[in-house]
Amino acid sequence: MLRLDAVSVRFGGLSALTDVSFAVPAGEILGLVGPNGAGKTTLFNTISGLVRPRGRIAFDGRDVTGEPLHRRARLGIGRTFQIPQPMHRLTVRENLLVAQVFGAGAHEPERIDEILAVMEIGHKADADAATSLALQELKRLEIAKALAVRPKVLLLDEVLAGLESRAKHLFMLKLRELHALFGLTIVIVEHDIETISNLCSRAVVLDFGRLIADGTPDEVFRDPNVVKSYTGGTH
Amino acid sequence: MFELVLQAVFSGVLVGSVYALVALGLAVAFGAMRIINLAHGELVLLAAYMAYVVEGRFGLNPWAAIPLALVVVVSLSWVIFKAVDRIREHRELNSLILTFAVGIVLTNAILLIFASDVRSTSSPTLQDAISIGDLFAMKGEIVAFCVSLVLMGALWWWLKKSWYGRAVRAVSSNREAAGLMGIDPARIETTAFLIAGALAAFAGVALYTMSVVQPAVGHTFTVKAFIVTVLAGVGSIPGVFLGALLLGVTEALTVTLASSALQELAGMVLFLLVLFFLPNGLFGARARRG
Amino acid sequence: MSAKPASFRPTMPETIAGVALLLVAVAPIVFDVGNYALGLLVSSLVLAGLGLSWALLGNLGGMVSFGHAAFFGVGAYASALVSARLGLPVVVAVPLGGLVASLSAITMLPTLRLSGPYFALAILAYAQIFRILATEAASITGGAGGLQRYPSLPTILGLDLSSRTGSYLLVLSVVAVFAGVYVAIRRSHVGIALRAIAESEVATRVVGVDSLRLKAWMLLLSAFMAGVFGALNAHVIGFLEPDYAFGGSWSMMPIIAAVFGGYRTVLGPICGAVAIYLFDQLVAKSLIPVGHEILLGVVLAVMVLIAPNGIAGFVGGLLDRPKGGRPHVAT
Repeated sequence: MLRLDAVSVRFGGLSALTDVSFAVPAGEILGLVGPNGAGKTTLFNTISGLVRPRGRIAFDGRDVTGEPLHRRARLGIGRTFQIPQPMHRLTVRENLLVAQVFGAGAHEPERIDEILAVMEIGHKADADAATSLALQELKRLEIAKALAVRPKVLLLDEVLAGLESRAKHLFMLKLRELHALFGLTIVIVEHDIETISNLCSRAVVLDFGRLIADGTPDEVFRDPNVVKSYTGGTH
Repeated sequence: MFELVLQAVFSGVLVGSVYALVALGLAVAFGAMRIINLAHGELVLLAAYMAYVVEGRFGLNPWAAIPLALVVVVSLSWVIFKAVDRIREHRELNSLILTFAVGIVLTNAILLIFASDVRSTSSPTLQDAISIGDLFAMKGEIVAFCVSLVLMGALWWWLKKSWYGRAVRAVSSNREAAGLMGIDPARIETTAFLIAGALAAFAGVALYTMSVVQPAVGHTFTVKAFIVTVLAGVGSIPGVFLGALLLGVTEALTVTLASSALQELAGMVLFLLVLFFLPNGLFGARARRG
Repeated sequence: MSAKPASFRPTMPETIAGVALLLVAVAPIVFDVGNYALGLLVSSLVLAGLGLSWALLGNLGGMVSFGHAAFFGVGAYASALVSARLGLPVVVAVPLGGLVASLSAITMLPTLRLSGPYFALAILAYAQIFRILATEAASITGGAGGLQRYPSLPTILGLDLSSRTGSYLLVLSVVAVFAGVYVAIRRSHVGIALRAIAESEVATRVVGVDSLRLKAWMLLLSAFMAGVFGALNAHVIGFLEPDYAFGGSWSMMPIIAAVFGGYRTVLGPICGAVAIYLFDQLVAKSLIPVGHEILLGVVLAVMVLIAPNGIAGFVGGLLDRPKGGRPHVAT
């Protein structure tokens, strides 16, 4: 479904990503792990189109390395931001409407209602998205927007950050529900080892922009390189 | 022919130094607050008219107007800052419109008080021509050039060395981080605006001594200052100086080789060319982009 | 991608408002206010149309322009020249003027990638360039001396459009049509996306909106509208010169009108333009004959500080409060 080949990104003199390669088969939930500054968000930015890397990114069989940002959504790449970015001056419902019409290609009101219900923000459907939602609701809206484009791949950037453990647990169940309900492939950035172990069938680890491990969560978290990057060294 | 071109380049450099002063004022305010003061040119113009008043009413050398110009322009600059500070929503665009409005008010106020006649210095000393080799310049132009260089040097030193100056740089690159380090962004912003006003005051008096002014010209100064900042790219004082010289020289060459009517056009075209083909300016680090 | 408008059946309050507007609009004719007053109204409606085009660009696309005089002037000269030199009927020349203005906007497309202030001033630069070009290309445009031998508005179906009454009805109708277009776009899916682009462009792109293309269309449309009104104005006035057609007033006034009236609504720029223009001509000019624009500048500054959404926004805010809760996200 998704394949990265030798993806590298440099910002000025700084190497954010170096020679990252991995593949994500359809239907998998992949964990993207690494210390702060390792390049996880940059990696998401290259997949979703905000940043143009060297190397090759293939999605659903086609080369999307050169595709502009807005086209990737239409191809089926849905993405959430770590700090939620709702569309301003629009209601929650309108946020989903825009995502649907321009990302999925058609307006389906019932599906919007469905997504609102699944993400449990139906009660705020007609509220101003940018100003009247709590942080949790904003995060749910982020995911709802991404779902509205009918994605084949969902990129989740630290959606669980800032939640206390019970809320985290509920969210995790919700993600499993979405995975099953919409037949998604998911790549999730997370810090919490337990979450990754429970949710993901596979994990890749980034450190200083390089891929240092790729395997099941168990394998990966016992890899000495990974342990070193988490406990030793400064960033 | 060659002498004409050389003369044009020379005159362009002299005028350009004053453009640099104007542009620096705009840039300092922009750097601290991320807003463009569209009334900046009118502040410069106001200072020029202060020089006119001092020369006309009291018969003094226009440069004696500096204290008056400083007082008037810096206080106005402070008022504008306070007004912009009060804007809550959509700071960037609303401040553009607000300063645009202030510019209109100032231009028309000048028109009302001083009428639309063209003004220029009548001081014989300043109008005296001196020659450097084959090149000619008015004494006024040379004085203005020197004053500009001194001020630019002082500003450069201040930004690099003094605590306040470095605080300004800190705030403009990362406001929150600066705040966390104990720098009060509000005070820094005020300082930046006041500095901008002071630079405008000097630039205005300088322009009066070497060129002509009339009410409509305030707007032109703002546009030229903006052109220079685009040419220079953000974050580089030497860049602003060179960009301003480039503008001055381009204009002078256009007047000499083509026609004076196309003078403004030259600056505009230069501006658009750089805007589209050299997004980081000619010398700059990183330009503000969408 | 569908751009279907949402349901277009007007609600009861909207119908009443519509009828009231209609009555207000034809009142000057019905009550025969006289040629001078009608002339003022015609000019204020030209400004209303220009203000509408400015507000369209600012509201649906988030692009604030300080140089709309560029489109206004291009439309004016294009229409005048085409009808004078090529003999095209004015009815064709006016939309053609709008089209040429649109084409000139194509040269501005690269500016769409710029952030707010840079865009605003880049457009200003274009306006200056057009003005200077119009002055210099004297052989075509009549140069600084002006252009005056071109046809005025024709007579259609027995109504002499060059008369005060005729031109009033014509300009009024064009304003109404463009207002309708504005509303239609705003209600469509494209309009909803455009609303979000102003402040959250990346968020829209991430879900598939080709924001650059949408903004481009809005720029071309805004230029077209401004050009049409420039053309209409040219034929009404009967005389053109570069400093007039491309004059700073045509960039400044729509901003004041739209901000005063409320640039997020449709009626705001229209009513604001009429109010500001009449204020300027009747009050400001008599108080301060030279430099009367100072009062307009003051109005603009005050509006930005205390009521940035204009009179419409101010009134809307007052009206929404009794209902309790947040005002509905409108416009």
